[in-house]
Amino acid sequence: MQRSFNRNIAALDKVFAFTAEFSDENQLDESVSLAMNLAIEELFTNIVKYTTDTGNDISIHLDVLDGALVVKITDFDVERFDVTRSDKVDVNKSLEERKVGGIGLHLVRNIVDKITYEYKDRTACITLVKHLEDLDV
Amino acid sequence: MFDIKFGEDGEIFLSGRFDATQVDRAREELSRVDSSCTVNFDNLDYISSAGLGVLLSVQKRLNGSSDSLTLVGLNRHIREIFRIAGFDQVFKID
Repeated sequence: MQRSFNRNIAALDKVFAFTAEFSDENQLDESVSLAMNLAIEELFTNIVKYTTDTGNDISIHLDVLDGALVVKITDFDVERFDVTRSDKVDVNKSLEERKVGGIGLHLVRNIVDKITYEYKDRTACITLVKHLEDLDV
Repeated sequence: MFDIKFGEDGEIFLSGRFDATQVDRAREELSRVDSSCTVNFDNLDYISSAGLGVLLSVQKRLNGSSDSLTLVGLNRHIREIFRIAGFDQVFKID
């Protein structure tokens, strides 16, 4: 199932309607659905915030393959910028040392089983894989 | 749909989905919190890093006056998100 979304944060409502439709059709466990929504939100918002050299829509493709949820987020006609790369987050910092922000990718890395970034012909594609037997988040 | 309500005793009730589309509204509503209080998650279904960031901002602001937020009623999914983020170390969670 594939759909394209406007390049703005407000489009998240439509993104979540799309993922809910996919979850229903594929009878995904609530834990998997929540993880899917969280991972997609974090990456979608990062793309909107940091890849600003285009106004093109962002494509999201969802599938269940070989017992795993596979999410592909594709961004067309953009410069190379890997939104999945970030500094390691120290989650043991005190409240005073904590900065607001920067935790999104840390969450994504911990709730999916695999995340890859590919860039070719000015097209960036992020692929997330989550095995369906993982039921924690 | 996300909502924030303030109880008569100052308890804050969150409900629905606390995602990136709700940050501005949540920041504005929570700007009135100026002392220790309880945040009730009983009816909150989802939170992303955007929502976590709003709550962290409030906690950091209150910490200056030795006040803090106490979080109650987190479902197991949200509790796990707090754990992964290390936010269970910076919030009192009952």
